[in-house]
Amino acid sequence: MKKRKWITMAAAVLVLAAAAAGMIKMKSQKEITLEFGMFTGSNWDVASANCFVIMDKAIEAFEESHPGVKIHYDSGILKEDYSEWCARKLLKGELPDVFMVMDTDFNQYCALGALKNLDDVIAADKEFDESKYFTTALNIGKNDGCQYALPYEVVPTLLFVNKSLLAAEGIEMPKQDWTWNDMYEICRQVTRDTDGDGWIDQFGTYNYGWLNVVHTSGASLFDDDFSRVNFASEEVYSSLRFVRKMYELNHGQKVTQEDYNNGKVAFMPLTFAEYRTYKTYPYKIKKYTGFQWDCTTFPAGSRGANTSEVDALLIGVSAWTEHEQLAWEFLKQLTYEQEMQMDIFRYSQGVSVLKDVTMSEEAAAAIQEDMDEGEQVIDSGLLCTVIEEGTIAPHFQQYDQVINLADNEISKMLEEEKNIDSTIKIFQRSINSYLKQ
Amino acid sequence: MKSKRIRFFQIGILILNMITVIGISAFTCYTTELICSRYDAREFLSGVSAIPWSPWRKLYICVILLLLLCVGFALRETVFKANMKMITFCLVAELFVAVLIVYQLNFNYNGILIMVFSGMLMYVKDRKAQMTLMALSIACFLLADYSLISVKWNLYSIESYMRYYDSATQQTLLSIYNVLISLNMAVFVMYCVDFIVTQRGRIDEVNALYEELEKVNEQIQEYAVMSEKMAETRERNRLAREIHDTLGHTLTGIAAGIDACIATVDVAPETTKKQLELISNVTRDGIKEIRRSVSELRPDALDRFSLDYAIAKMVADMNAVSGTKVYFNCQVKNLKFDEDEENAIYRVIQEGITNSIRHGKAEKIWITMNREDSDILLQIKDNGIGSKEIKTGFGTKHMKERIGMLGGTVTFDGSNGFTVNARIPIRWGENYD
Repeated sequence: MKKRKWITMAAAVLVLAAAAAGMIKMKSQKEITLEFGMFTGSNWDVASANCFVIMDKAIEAFEESHPGVKIHYDSGILKEDYSEWCARKLLKGELPDVFMVMDTDFNQYCALGALKNLDDVIAADKEFDESKYFTTALNIGKNDGCQYALPYEVVPTLLFVNKSLLAAEGIEMPKQDWTWNDMYEICRQVTRDTDGDGWIDQFGTYNYGWLNVVHTSGASLFDDDFSRVNFASEEVYSSLRFVRKMYELNHGQKVTQEDYNNGKVAFMPLTFAEYRTYKTYPYKIKKYTGFQWDCTTFPAGSRGANTSEVDALLIGVSAWTEHEQLAWEFLKQLTYEQEMQMDIFRYSQGVSVLKDVTMSEEAAAAIQEDMDEGEQVIDSGLLCTVIEEGTIAPHFQQYDQVINLADNEISKMLEEEKNIDSTIKIFQRSINSYLKQ
Repeated sequence: MKSKRIRFFQIGILILNMITVIGISAFTCYTTELICSRYDAREFLSGVSAIPWSPWRKLYICVILLLLLCVGFALRETVFKANMKMITFCLVAELFVAVLIVYQLNFNYNGILIMVFSGMLMYVKDRKAQMTLMALSIACFLLADYSLISVKWNLYSIESYMRYYDSATQQTLLSIYNVLISLNMAVFVMYCVDFIVTQRGRIDEVNALYEELEKVNEQIQEYAVMSEKMAETRERNRLAREIHDTLGHTLTGIAAGIDACIATVDVAPETTKKQLELISNVTRDGIKEIRRSVSELRPDALDRFSLDYAIAKMVADMNAVSGTKVYFNCQVKNLKFDEDEENAIYRVIQEGITNSIRHGKAEKIWITMNREDSDILLQIKDNGIGSKEIKTGFGTKHMKERIGMLGGTVTFDGSNGFTVNARIPIRWGENYD
């Protein structure tokens, strides 16, 4: 009997000791390795050769200022695979300490509690000044009023204007606060048959879609929690009426990229990243030669403003990181460090999220490097205005699908000359029942 | 004390819980690996509202916590069988561990709480506390429910992992899950029922014994009445015999003597005088005889011996027959009181010694007697186990009654051994001869 007692005692002590040893082993690691999750290539669907250069520089700088800390990342994850990669890491509980967050995943990750709420660290960090960021860019990383991620790089959408074409037609450059009517007037004037073969060969816009118009109409397409779409509003109707008017100018003729490249189109929306890529792509023919161009804001509707979509690449911290402070420092290194943010102009295609950096002469010089001589620089004042006034695309998973469905529905409506009100109401009903699922 | 069946139930519940807890966490791990190997992670994530952080780590932690629970169980069952303090400590620790497990599993399974409560139930003797504990465990079980808590907090649900599989597999998994939960609940209910039935049986047994005791008591009372009557008759007979033998004999002698005197008083006065002297002697002898027989009517030892001798004899007898050592210390000189007082003192001491040995399991008993003013202070003290609360049993009640009849008081103290303190007023100077 006594022997059995001793055996039980010994077994109990053994189990407790093993458990304690296991805990200690898990805790003690000599060198701290911070995991960083990133994808290869550009977030803006343009080719990028320098994606590792910026990161390697940032990592080197960080490791130098933080001895004993190593940053590790898996290279070679493509952007299209990145979301799945992150999801797998998240499911297994191996989410990197600091990682790039796809905009489609952002809301979901917040809801799942995968992203650390940064409000407390921001409040605790006396050196950190939120106002240095573009407010719009900062808002992209917010969910429910809390900062869950910081923007790393922003990309605004600008409206490119064929200055030569306007000058040939005797039209002045539009001002930054112009309206739909101004644009319609210009387009009406330039849309015509120049060589007399009976076909229209000079057009007002290319790629200027209904979404660009809705952004300037003052409409909000979604409910606050993205559970319902809100298409049936006067703002959307007036936008679509404007789109139809513009569409009818072309008499059913399709405008192509070729037309713009040949200098036959007055306006084309382009993201900043697309613009920079087109201009610097070394083995691509220079597309914008032959005409002078400029860029400006989008024309506003009667209830809206001259806004366009602003997109940002977000970087967040895992909610389960064991090195909260280091993760925060690294996040700051990537998004808050001036030198690092300047590299975005040097090696990437976006715009820095810091106002000071974007306004700086060095940035202007970096952008100017891409230009042909004699061409007008994208003026950094305009860049800042476009970013600060910009609207943010909602980050939820079905967003792309909803927009694609709306695209189809609206182009069908334009082609088949359907009634706007009824088409939109029916569309809204079907989309809402889809979102409810 | 513990029945084999109850132990069987407890081990059954423990094994069932281990299977369920490890099953749930292992299933989560397996499904996670499957999802990741099929590159379905993104799609899976869009269908869930929460996920557990690192399923493998959860499994590891759950196994450690379960081992701790087993250690607690084993310690209670073997090492600390009688150590109530350690058992309480083990139970509290087990409850804490169980709460941790429920938390680790995000409230997908809370039967482990019931397991701990069933363990606690075993050690609680008080019926009211047992009921409270049962109610508490059911309340905990209901409150720590996933569907209730997930309303407020974002918790992962095991069912969302089940939904990853095709509908046939889903059905199977869900039924296994539900069967495990229901089985645990069923075993707990069986355990409780068994517990209550066992207790009910014990109560019935006690009731039956009590009835028997009552019957025997009645019989004893009848016997007592009968024997009293018999004693009375015997006493009457004795009295009659005594009166006949002594008083009759003497009076007959006196009557005969006086008759002779009447006859001789005129003839020979001298002879008559002698005769009367003789009669006087006979009469005195008769008185002596009567005194003797009256004194013979007093009870047992007390009429034959003095009180201190009687007490000393009782103490000596007790020391001789039992393993208990009794010390008697008397500071009062000339122990000679009225009969009822002597009787009371004697009986109180007798009762005190009996109680100390029977209830207190005392090894030593000290009896002291002091005089204060006209009161006798009597103390009976032992080194036995004492008693937290003093129950009014037969012994103490009788002591109180006896001393109360003399206008005295008695107090009891069970904190350090057991002590009886009696104060008995004595009617000094009214000595009976």
